Amino acid sequence: MSTPEIVTVTVDGREIQVPKGLGMIETALEAGIEIPVFCYEPRLGAPVGACRMCLCEVEGMPKLQAACTMTAQDGLVLSTAQTSAKAAEGQNAVLEFILLNHPLDCPDCDKGGECPLQDLTFRWGPGATRMRFEKRTFDKPIPVSPLIALDRERCILCYRCTRFSETVAEDGQLVAINRGAGSIITTFEDEPYRAHFSGNVLELCPVGALTSTTYRFRARPWEIQNVPTVCGLCPVGCNTWATTREGKVARILSRNHAEVDEGWLCDKGRFAYAHLTAEDRISVPRRRVRRRGFEPLSWEGALDEAERSLKEAGGPVVVAFSGGETVETATAIARLVKEGLGGGSALLPDTFHPALDRFRAPISAIRDADVCLVFGDEPVVERAPVLDLWLRAARRGGAEVITLNPAGSAALKPGSAAWAAAQLQAESPAEELRDAKRSLDAAERVAIVWSEDDSTGGVHALALAESLGDKASVYLIPRTPNGRGVAAAWGDPGSLPDGDIGVLIVSGDEAAGSPDVRDLAERARFVMTTAMFESEGTLWSHLVLPGTSYLERDGTTVNLEGRPQRQRRAVAPPAEDDLAFFAGLAGRFGVDVGPWPTMLPDDHAVLPEIESFEGEVSVPKTSAPKGGGKELAVVRYRSLFSGPAVERVDQLQFQRPQAEIELSYEDASARGIDRGAEVTVQSNGTSRTLRARVNRRLRKGVVRIPSEHAEGLQDRVEVRSG
Amino acid sequence: MAQADALYDEIQTIAARYPQRLSAVMPALRLAQERYGWLPPDAFREVGEALDLTPAYCKAVASFYDMFHLEPVGRHMIEVCTNVSCALVGAQQVLEAFEGELGVEAGETTEDGEFTLRTIECAGGCGWGTVVSVDHRYREPVKPDDVPAIVEELRNGSE
Amino acid sequence: MAPSEQALMKLLFADAEGRDLTRLAEYEQVGGYESLKKALKMKRQAVLDELLAADVRGRGGAGFPMGRKASFLPKPEDSTKPIYLVSNADESEPGTFKDREIMARIPHMFIEGVVIASRVIGANTAFIYIRGEYLTEFEILRDALEEARNAGLVGPNVLGSGWDLTVVVHRGAGAYICGEETALLESLEGKRGQPRSKPPFPAISGVYASPTLINNVETLATVPKILEIGGAEYAKLGVEHSTGTRVFSLSGNVANGGNYEVELGTSLRELVYDIGGGIPDGRELKAIIPGGSSVPVLTADEVDTALDFDSMAARGTMLGSGAVIVMDDRCCMVQLGLRVAQFYMHESCGKCTPCREGTRWMVSILRKIEDGEASQGELDLLLNVCDRILGNCLCPLGDAAAMPVASYVAKFRDEYQRHIDEGGCPFHGDSTLDHVMAPVDQHHARIRAEIEVPA
Ligand SMILES: Cc1cc2nc3c(=O)[nH]c(=O)nc-3n(C[C@H](O)[C@H](O)[C@H](O)COP(=O)(O)O)c2cc1C
Ligand code: SF4
Ligand code: FES
Repeated sequence: MSTPEIVTVTVDGREIQVPKGLGMIETALEAGIEIPVFCYEPRLGAPVGACRMCLCEVEGMPKLQAACTMTAQDGLVLSTAQTSAKAAEGQNAVLEFILLNHPLDCPDCDKGGECPLQDLTFRWGPGATRMRFEKRTFDKPIPVSPLIALDRERCILCYRCTRFSETVAEDGQLVAINRGAGSIITTFEDEPYRAHFSGNVLELCPVGALTSTTYRFRARPWEIQNVPTVCGLCPVGCNTWATTREGKVARILSRNHAEVDEGWLCDKGRFAYAHLTAEDRISVPRRRVRRRGFEPLSWEGALDEAERSLKEAGGPVVVAFSGGETVETATAIARLVKEGLGGGSALLPDTFHPALDRFRAPISAIRDADVCLVFGDEPVVERAPVLDLWLRAARRGGAEVITLNPAGSAALKPGSAAWAAAQLQAESPAEELRDAKRSLDAAERVAIVWSEDDSTGGVHALALAESLGDKASVYLIPRTPNGRGVAAAWGDPGSLPDGDIGVLIVSGDEAAGSPDVRDLAERARFVMTTAMFESEGTLWSHLVLPGTSYLERDGTTVNLEGRPQRQRRAVAPPAEDDLAFFAGLAGRFGVDVGPWPTMLPDDHAVLPEIESFEGEVSVPKTSAPKGGGKELAVVRYRSLFSGPAVERVDQLQFQRPQAEIELSYEDASARGIDRGAEVTVQSNGTSRTLRARVNRRLRKGVVRIPSEHAEGLQDRVEVRSG
Repeated sequence: MAQADALYDEIQTIAARYPQRLSAVMPALRLAQERYGWLPPDAFREVGEALDLTPAYCKAVASFYDMFHLEPVGRHMIEVCTNVSCALVGAQQVLEAFEGELGVEAGETTEDGEFTLRTIECAGGCGWGTVVSVDHRYREPVKPDDVPAIVEELRNGSE
Repeated sequence: MAPSEQALMKLLFADAEGRDLTRLAEYEQVGGYESLKKALKMKRQAVLDELLAADVRGRGGAGFPMGRKASFLPKPEDSTKPIYLVSNADESEPGTFKDREIMARIPHMFIEGVVIASRVIGANTAFIYIRGEYLTEFEILRDALEEARNAGLVGPNVLGSGWDLTVVVHRGAGAYICGEETALLESLEGKRGQPRSKPPFPAISGVYASPTLINNVETLATVPKILEIGGAEYAKLGVEHSTGTRVFSLSGNVANGGNYEVELGTSLRELVYDIGGGIPDGRELKAIIPGGSSVPVLTADEVDTALDFDSMAARGTMLGSGAVIVMDDRCCMVQLGLRVAQFYMHESCGKCTPCREGTRWMVSILRKIEDGEASQGELDLLLNVCDRILGNCLCPLGDAAAMPVASYVAKFRDEYQRHIDEGGCPFHGDSTLDHVMAPVDQHHARIRAEIEVPA
């Protein structure tokens, strides 16, 4: 990138030097002058100049200009309302027009105290109203979804929300209908705004028109505290503010990290915090007595019990991680086991090949790629939602986004990722990958995204990146939020023992709910589990400790890029946190682990330097997945809106995956299945009734089902209507 | 599915005429409206599916334009231009003649579902006012006295 | 209808009398498509030079010189993106119906203009955006294009020149704002027809973010004639800065409404009285709107103003779309203001605040004045609201509402004052515009009660 030319601009008589092309709103800010805006929001794409709040006088132009649509040019002389009477009159005019409809019910409005319109009205607003006709009236707040309420009387039609829906999330759900003064913001018919990123419109709305149903009337801005932290629900690690009031989390807001999230959050990250106060929250330690009875323990009692059991158990030690632990907790467990108990093996949710760091780049660099290759059968948006927004931004910016999955731009057979990566390194790849290969060869910057579990830790992506040389970056999306940090904290997982297990440490709810862990538990003499909620796993554990949420503890989490980020305790957990427990336990075994984290990263963490890797990367051989048969191949994916946290939030239930099966157009037609019809899905004696959704992009012979609706089904199924 | 498929295919043909498929949304909506007489929710779903758009997007577009009907309309559409030029030469009287003849007010549909009467903005026949668009064909000039014959003609089905 | 033929200077319609020029064969008999053949033999720049020499100004409303606009586009060899021609056939400015007659009677001349203009800018695709209501004209155009295609005048390898041109006719669906060029482009792209912020101008980033030349139907239909007689010769028609002929749409209280093609610079009086047959029913001329409902009004005293850009500007008004609306003494100017404001309120796209809210406010005040419920202060408020709209909107639609209404008040202040003084309309129901039901009223009454504009 060349350094931009520096130009001189005069704003309200102050001369400043800024890069040519800088937005005029930002240019004025450089000069210390704030120009009021409503519709302007650079993250929503090119400025639209709709609200006209930013009208300013520009030397040499007869009419006032919308400053937000202008950029810094040499010699430009701009006068804002602060020095130009004409601009002031223009802004007053616009403000008056905006207030024609606005109810001015600020004392009742959730936005009160943090509302730009309120501030402006206070600063500039006309003292007496000249409007002697009725305002537009609408029904009082209507639900746009169970999460979002819309008060149309307050809406100033800045179109920020609809522009977000159309051009950032590209979900096409929240729209403006009608024309002129009859325009309103709405969803289709009575359908809720059901999309992964809907909550962002709450932060975008400059007035109190769109408000959160989970936050409304709960708190006034002066009663709250905002704690900077990092979301712990997926491996993107979006930066957030946790707003707390009276010791409870009241809402989650974005905290723009330009390289990670650009200020967007997914609805899980924004709304799932209510799981902290779920009814089945485990708040005291307990141990199992006799068959299914439990007995509460004091904290010391729990440590005693754990110490005693660990000493008595004998046999191999196994730790099952959830991937949501902080680096510090995972380290404490690792040191307890390795230094205090003489070693053990681990079930790690994710593995990362150390050589991957060579192709590390910030997530934001995806937008600068000219080709993005997305491997894997799981939709990126379900695994790492905000990363999907960067891919969309790349596409809008002209990049070619090649998705290699059964519903992708190159519609491959299920399970083709590794094979496809190998093919793309070949001189002449298989027919269906030729176009992709051509694009790849011509590209100057390539982003490789891997969106499914990869037990090799990313070697296939790595090999492809190596073949492309410097122009590639790799984003391996782990299954869990801190899978990367946990894997690094533990090190070599070792091999799990075949026979009896002495001690099984189950860390966290994901592990407690996993069928694999259940199999291990059946072989274990002593099972010790930390969990926030009751589950099957907590029932078969001998010792259960209250788990904590990412909002309740301090620590480090490493996102998919490999960026260590700081999570802060926003609210207190019901008991001590996991780190305190394992540190205490380690102490009993002579291992000195501090009960609180030290050396935490900054609140806006940078990406570590790229480290070189000297070792060998060995790539397993790949082969084309087999197809054929008249049965349909099942692709399952885990919806973002699943898991212990989401399950416990009422308002998120509508976001849970529907009991649907996606069928290709060909397969649906051949079976006489209409869109929306009920179908029977069958394999080896198991059968399920699901609703059919026809996906014209899905490859023939493949069906797609969210995991939670595919339980019991084999990898190949029969589908028939009715 | 057959009818939806036919619409789907026709929309693909239209979309292929444009450098970018999104341009086909208005013609596609028009086609759907010809099918259904108006644009019910399913029309938006079908157009959306054909062009890879959400029904909400399709409705947002349709609702911007006066010629797309978001509610059922009569079999015949009678539209009276009441913009300045036509109004200067008696458009209101023509409108009232239709109201009397049909027993509905502007903006309404007759109970038998035969006629929708509405006013429209300048139709582009100002020199020959009053312009009345009957099933999208202009009659000009229309005088109040012409109205009974027009309605009669439509009632008799001689289209 | 036999207006005084002598006063008519016909260029575009010269051969249309008594012939069916919708048919290719007949059009060719009167020299049709000869200009295209000529253009194909010339260098692109040479054709452009003829347009520049003709100094022909846009006929859509803004009056920008066509040749200059075309020269703003990048040369095809310098453009990384395809270049497009878009013809604006959305004709919706109240009072205007000239493009309709051009498309209905001389469609091939229009198509020939489209093809030549596409050639000049190096476009391979041209769009004709025709307003949805023009069904008959759409069919005529479609059939004419089909004939032209079959004759190799449009399509691949135009007349063996090795240059391809696809022409797509795109139908609107009822939205006045889509006549505004950037709204038109949005609509053509499949979006809600809301104007874009300029710059970038369409010449640089138009349809599909590619260089685009947008011209009105009449502007393009003039192109073959310019090539036929030569740009310099064309420039001799009309007056300085307003060369050539224009098709004026004459309507309202005039004996012979219709389209009349006259040389620019002809006086309004000539058009209204000599050609249009004057004011019928023994009434008096009261006012004239000279360029479509968005331009300031002229009083009867100003009827000698010449129909050219500069003369109109000197009177504080514009030639606009060439729609001349005549009002006799039965027309209440408050009702006129109300009806015009209602139109723009109905057609406001809703994107920018001053237009969306301001037009609504104007309607509300005007209705109160008409109903005799307004106070003195509200008359000034009306002017102030107009003033606060003017120049503050994203596109010219807001101005199009504010300018004319402000001119009605300025020029007929007494009449407005009487409404206030007498507590109602001094016409007592005898005005031609009394109680006209506008589409907004029909909506307000039945469909969208929630955006009510209370009386
Ligand atoms: C609100 C509005 C409506 C317009 N409507 C039309 C129209 O119906 N037809 C037209 O040719 N130009 C219309 N214009 C002008 C166009 O924006 C544009 O200037 C014109 O099409 C350019 O063609 P020309 O240079 O050949 O006149 C309108 C402009 C505005 C602001
Ligand atoms: S709801 Fe809010 S963000 Fe959306 S248009 Fe209205 S004011 Fe703007
Ligand atoms: S902020 Fe500039 S127009 Fe809205």
